[in-house]
Amino acid sequence: MALFERVEQMFETVIQQGHGSLALVFLIGVVFGGIIQYTRVDKFEKIAGFAMLKDTIVPKMLFLAVGLTSIGLYFLIEAGGAHYHIKPVMWQGLIIGGTLFGISMAILGKCPGTGPISIAEGRIDVLVGAIGGLLGGLVFTLYYDDFFKPLMGESAGKLILTEFFKGHEHTVVLVYGIVITLIAIAIPKMELYDEADLAQLPEDERPDKKA
Amino acid sequence: MTRLPWWVGGILMSLLLLLTFSVLGADRPIGASTYVPYFAGLIFDLDSEKYSYLKEIQNPGAWEGVMLMGALFGGFITSVFITKSFRISLIPTGWRKYKNNSVLSRLLWSFFAGFIMIIGARLAGGCTSGHFMSGMSQLAVSSMIFGGVVLVVVIVTGRLFYNVKEK
Repeated sequence: MALFERVEQMFETVIQQGHGSLALVFLIGVVFGGIIQYTRVDKFEKIAGFAMLKDTIVPKMLFLAVGLTSIGLYFLIEAGGAHYHIKPVMWQGLIIGGTLFGISMAILGKCPGTGPISIAEGRIDVLVGAIGGLLGGLVFTLYYDDFFKPLMGESAGKLILTEFFKGHEHTVVLVYGIVITLIAIAIPKMELYDEADLAQLPEDERPDKKA
Repeated sequence: MTRLPWWVGGILMSLLLLLTFSVLGADRPIGASTYVPYFAGLIFDLDSEKYSYLKEIQNPGAWEGVMLMGALFGGFITSVFITKSFRISLIPTGWRKYKNNSVLSRLLWSFFAGFIMIIGARLAGGCTSGHFMSGMSQLAVSSMIFGGVVLVVVIVTGRLFYNVKEK
């Protein structure tokens, strides 16, 4: 089968699985990419900058998004407007995977969601990272049964925090959402700017020149 | 405005997550790492009947693949018309400042980091989007473990890998 046909099959798979129309899924991506680009959280200076503790925009934005969503989503699910999609607790996979992921995120200064946004704005080094990623995906696929699946270990179940507080679910969700939101606000705001980027802007539109 | 404040970004991302989760939207979380092995299968023409992992990720991989195409498009349009940050570049300014001036070094490290990033994400079953944003929003314990490990490792790596004190 030619590559073109395989891409066509990808569209077909999306249309048939019933998780939104092809146009909607594409549009979700457009908005996702737009938000990431507009807030500049795909930048090396933001992600590697956080690793160096010189920029805190990424954790502030992430924690805020999680805090707000957790409250909204819980009530949406209770009202029947959404469902849980919980990933299982697999200790080995989470710890080994999280460690590899953390190391690479600090070095590349991207993650799999922000990397493509950087490629879209012309960053060749990230494109090279993506080629590495594709090979990583290939190796993972080829050796999944023999090596990676056993490495992930046994599942301890799809646990949710509220399960440990039966009868107090609402309180737990509210406290969790509010605490995470407060963490987002409490993290001191630090920014590491990229002169090469800002030099392309008119003087009065530079975020580093504003109060 | 050429840059969006973090809190506006956080609110918009939250609304997008809720829309995607809702039955009126896609009735699923946002994820952004399953598409990589899916694309690897697509490009290298692997038979999904032969590889159990490809079979497992057929649906989410395709979904994220289309979402990623949208993200590339949205990112490109925004970078050209709004943030005006589009430019071809081989090495980030911050890398020059805190690591070295070598393009080769940056490209080799990028390749290596990209490689272990996808293996790490697939071992853990998610990334910043699937685990940190979507998972922690559902109060998933697995995502909190992942988030905690990544936060610590990112900061330790940043400290060891870069010349943090220079300048």
